[in-house]
Amino acid sequence: MSWKLAVVPERCSGCKICELVCSIQRFGVNNPKKSAIRVMVIYPHPIIRMPIVCRQCKVAKCMENCPTGAIVTKNGIYDIDGEKCISCQQCVISCPFGAIFLHEEIDTPFKCNLCNGNPRCVEACPKNALLFLPEHVLGQPQRMASVLKYVHMKEVEYVEKGERKVLRYADIEKGKGED
Amino acid sequence: MPTSKREKGKIKGGYFWKILQIDLDREEMRPLEFDEAFALKYIGGRGFGAKLIWDHLQKGPIYPLGPENLLVISPGPLAGLYLPASGKTAFISISPETGIYGDSNMGGSFGVELRQAGIDALAISGRAKTLSYLWIDNGEVRIIPNERLKGKGSLETEGMVKEELKDEHIKVATIGVAGENRVRFACVTSDWGRNSGRTGIGAVMGSKNLKAIAVRGSKDLPVFDLPRLQKASEASFRSLRENKNFAFWQEQGLMSVIDYVNEAGVMPTFNFREGVFEHAKKVNGYEMLSKYKIGDTSCFGCPMACGNVCLVKDGKYRGTAVEGPEYETACMFGPNVGIQNFSAILKANQLCDELGIDTITAGNLIGVLMEAQETGLLSEKDLDSLNLKWGSEEMVLEMIQRIAHRKGIGNVLAEGSLRVIKQWPQLRPIISQVKGLEQSAYDARIAISMALGYATSDIGAHHTRAWTIAKELEMGMAWPLEKKADLVIYHQTLRPLFDMLGVCRLPWIELGFDENQYAEFYSATTGVEMKLNQLLEKSIGLYDLTRAINMRFGISRKDDYPPERVFTLPMTEGPHAGKILKLEEYEAILDIYYQKRGWTKDGLVEEKKIETFNDPLVTI
Repeated sequence: MSWKLAVVPERCSGCKICELVCSIQRFGVNNPKKSAIRVMVIYPHPIIRMPIVCRQCKVAKCMENCPTGAIVTKNGIYDIDGEKCISCQQCVISCPFGAIFLHEEIDTPFKCNLCNGNPRCVEACPKNALLFLPEHVLGQPQRMASVLKYVHMKEVEYVEKGERKVLRYADIEKGKGED
Repeated sequence: MPTSKREKGKIKGGYFWKILQIDLDREEMRPLEFDEAFALKYIGGRGFGAKLIWDHLQKGPIYPLGPENLLVISPGPLAGLYLPASGKTAFISISPETGIYGDSNMGGSFGVELRQAGIDALAISGRAKTLSYLWIDNGEVRIIPNERLKGKGSLETEGMVKEELKDEHIKVATIGVAGENRVRFACVTSDWGRNSGRTGIGAVMGSKNLKAIAVRGSKDLPVFDLPRLQKASEASFRSLRENKNFAFWQEQGLMSVIDYVNEAGVMPTFNFREGVFEHAKKVNGYEMLSKYKIGDTSCFGCPMACGNVCLVKDGKYRGTAVEGPEYETACMFGPNVGIQNFSAILKANQLCDELGIDTITAGNLIGVLMEAQETGLLSEKDLDSLNLKWGSEEMVLEMIQRIAHRKGIGNVLAEGSLRVIKQWPQLRPIISQVKGLEQSAYDARIAISMALGYATSDIGAHHTRAWTIAKELEMGMAWPLEKKADLVIYHQTLRPLFDMLGVCRLPWIELGFDENQYAEFYSATTGVEMKLNQLLEKSIGLYDLTRAINMRFGISRKDDYPPERVFTLPMTEGPHAGKILKLEEYEAILDIYYQKRGWTKDGLVEEKKIETFNDPLVTI
């Protein structure tokens, strides 16, 4: 079974604790610029904070574009083989998410390797914005949300004082708590 | 690189050993090395700042808005490290608002970036020939003139500089129009709305023709024993997350304080006349949650995420997006001016951020004008024929604009309360300020320790040095003065220590985080074993130093009194109706306070103690 690191951007507060633990875990230094996860902050339209991290794509652009076969995969986790890598940075450019990073003191690009199956950032995130889930669970929250959205749109008919009326579930919620 | 002498020394981490001096007059950059004794005595953050200002003062008089004033930006040895809330940076200067020592600290991650650029502190003097910004790229500094930034908002400038330097990830501290116009309570902004708000540091930047400071840094932060730090930090993060108030705190942040303060009857209402606001529920945290909040934000390394992001979705202010509000802003633009519309508070917050004005001072002074109109202390002509009635949103927003652009009466207010009083002496009794800094949003009438805290704060009436009101209310008024003075001094010692280290005080004060942990963080980082009480001693020394700086500007006992209102005007409503502070009682606690600090009866630090600050550790 393959596991995925999933991001819930709405929860992220931009504290960068994920970057800190990543740099400590990976390189043994306190340096957010050496982390394989990076929080992007967009302001003011829209306002969002979102960690960018490798999605371990099954059809991996980085792997396809690597001229030396330095992107290696083991148990569905992709990593860069420092021996084979020539640091041409094709992978950095070809990743659709920008989830492969560079640092001037490090010879080769680096990316998330899921801490070999126990990602430290997930447990460290104080907002639960990072989740580590089995592959088949991904998409379930969205499926759930779309069902709820459908139900909210649906109308129910009822009779009040002999009069036929239509009510939307969404309106029931809206009325709650107001005078 | 560390010198060989230092490698053999005691301190093995925490510092880059580099204070970068920038002289804008000569366009000169000089790294200034400091030694271990300096680092051990002043630690960092505002400790470094105060010492640099002190040394600078020895060379001659400083006019706050003159090129000779020194602006120090100093994060502290723990800033940027893997420990709770390590994103603080101190901005230190001689304040244009008060004319004495001034500082203010900023959250976000500007200071972390500065440290990653290999710089422990920046010390900026002189004045650029034209409007410019600084670009510090991993320690390399350039002064870049850019007239196009003139008149631009703080946040707009942040975006423009990032675009010009083609890097979204850099950190930019900016000033708005108010800073350019040297409004004496202009602030410095970074991270889209984190402010170094108080004492007018933005005006100092403006007077130096410095519109922004952009930084990129990628260096490892020096930590002596990273596994030890990691161990202590992990336990700390865990204890914070296990706190029962943790989730609530993330949800509301400082906005949760509104209900508490209103129930306690210490909410600044109608220019500090009252302590209870009838419509507090319309401007509290729940109101924010139900209609406006769209996200959480936090400063660097902070799990508490007290920042709120709000958006006004409909009505007159539709589209207003702001990082905020914080408690102070919501109070000063809410109850203090009689506003009960939360979206108007958000609009005022956003305007102040963009124009670069301290929200506390602005809300305070606008409240003063409203009272002055109501009571006839100012004439229609004085007030530019504006109808400044309580609760008028239009007038509050108009006044913010007038202050920033120094238009009409705004030009008088822009000078800060000391000069407002000079122009209109009749306003003296109704302006709540100490040493020229306007009071922040906690009433002090019923809590003598809070009054003492405001009055003896080294920058003026700000709550950041001593926020003792909650403890005093909890302990009851009958608590002996001795204990209250001790409490104030403990706050004034511990809280500045946070500013020296580059960390935030909120985990301690709000979630009861054990302050002894900071000694462990410091020891792990620097390799110098230090207990909390040893660190606190350095902080006590710093308080003497800032007092010594203030003594140079003539500060003594006469300046250590809380706002006049506290003694003269009882509230008419709420749990504390009818109460005022007794002057004799205040004199008594002030005597106790001086005695405990080892200051003279007139509030002066002894010369022989002052001499210890003349150690020739740093020469500029």
